[in-house]
Amino acid sequence: MTFDIDLIVESLPLMLMGIGITLKLLIVSGLLGLMLAVCLLLMRISGKWYLSFPAQVYIYIFRGTPILVQIFIIYYGLPQFEAVRDSILWPILREPMGCAIVALTLNTAAYVSEILRGGVLGVSKGVLEAGSALGMSARQKFIYLTAPIATRLALPAYSNDVISLLKSTALASTITIADMTGIARTIVADTYAPYEIFISLAIVYIIFTFGIQKLFGAIERYLGRYTEREG
Amino acid sequence: MDALTGWWDDYLWGAVVVGQVFVCSLILMIVFGLLGAMAKISNSRTAQKIASAYTVIFRGTPEILVILLLYFGSAITLTAIAQIFNPEIRFVDVPPFWAGTIAISLIVGSYATETFRGAFLGVSPGSIEAARALGMSNLQTFIYVRIPEMWRLALPPFGNHMLSLIKDTALISIIGLNETMFVAKQAITVTGKPFTMYIVVGAIYLGFSTVVTLAVMGLEKFGERTTAGAK
Repeated sequence: MTFDIDLIVESLPLMLMGIGITLKLLIVSGLLGLMLAVCLLLMRISGKWYLSFPAQVYIYIFRGTPILVQIFIIYYGLPQFEAVRDSILWPILREPMGCAIVALTLNTAAYVSEILRGGVLGVSKGVLEAGSALGMSARQKFIYLTAPIATRLALPAYSNDVISLLKSTALASTITIADMTGIARTIVADTYAPYEIFISLAIVYIIFTFGIQKLFGAIERYLGRYTEREG
Repeated sequence: MDALTGWWDDYLWGAVVVGQVFVCSLILMIVFGLLGAMAKISNSRTAQKIASAYTVIFRGTPEILVILLLYFGSAITLTAIAQIFNPEIRFVDVPPFWAGTIAISLIVGSYATETFRGAFLGVSPGSIEAARALGMSNLQTFIYVRIPEMWRLALPPFGNHMLSLIKDTALISIIGLNETMFVAKQAITVTGKPFTMYIVVGAIYLGFSTVVTLAVMGLEKFGERTTAGAK
């Protein structure tokens, strides 16, 4: 058993060719998931049971089942129905990439909406009372008071969720997508050198994680620039 | 639903395997988490560095990569070791159960490290001083004061870690553990009903998550029984 440095030098560029796909999965499903999460949040805090109850069920189901099962249900499961194959969504659900993005989006939205709700619940009552005293409507209070403060409060937890999403993109390799992990698995199947390949890929992911942490740290500092004096 | 006839007991055994993985990885996860937390709050620089490296590595690497690395890596290493003693051995088979269990408990243990560390630091110094004043030894203080105060603080995030463990067991099917995902795969090749089969898997996992969530809620109530009046 040896640690083959040449093999790493040879295969790292191959694995890095999957960076585009990993990033596409991360960014597209991250943004779509955030939008869906905001919708779910608004449904949950609407105060109307026929809106908040479906949102709660959605969150319960998607947080209670493994993401791998969700990916498989969407990729292998949905084509079982003729209605799905005839629908306008078929061009998306036919492709592994489309399925992966749909699954990751639906999954991350459930987690993110809970994080956002935590932020909304963290907004102090005093601020909202001050808004009422200034004669703001409920909508104005949400847009000018709740939303900015909740964003700031939710950001640290949100950055953790983006990291989980990055790690979940690796599961796309189970439905034949050639992201970084998918390529690495092919190389390992050929060379049978799991240590060299998987460890060097793990380092690439750790660098990515580190980058995401730094990025969100910078955003947090930017959004918190007014609160620094209060220390 | 007819397609499911004859598969129920396979699913039941799959669920038993999920339960077994969960129990074993829960124990290991607590061990890794406590070791990591103790290393982080210890005075030894080396122990602190090792613990930080542990959390950075396992929180930044996709779960599937850790599982694949441990499974294929340990097979290679064990084969190499076995060949020293008996050159005729061609290949040592590593049971996916243990490779997977250790992998997911290492991953979730890295999250638990932070939880336990925070909880240990959250034990009020006053309680520890009071224990000293009563003449308790270090060990007594640890067992009667630190642990009971600390697990109450750690419980809510710890519940989330248990949910992660349950959901991560699905990933072990990738290296061939015969749990529910694996059963579904077999059932699909026979019946050609992927949606039905994977929905059953999802329902089983949802059941597990619900039980864990309820158990944690019960434990939280139990933990608060003596402090309810204090609030």
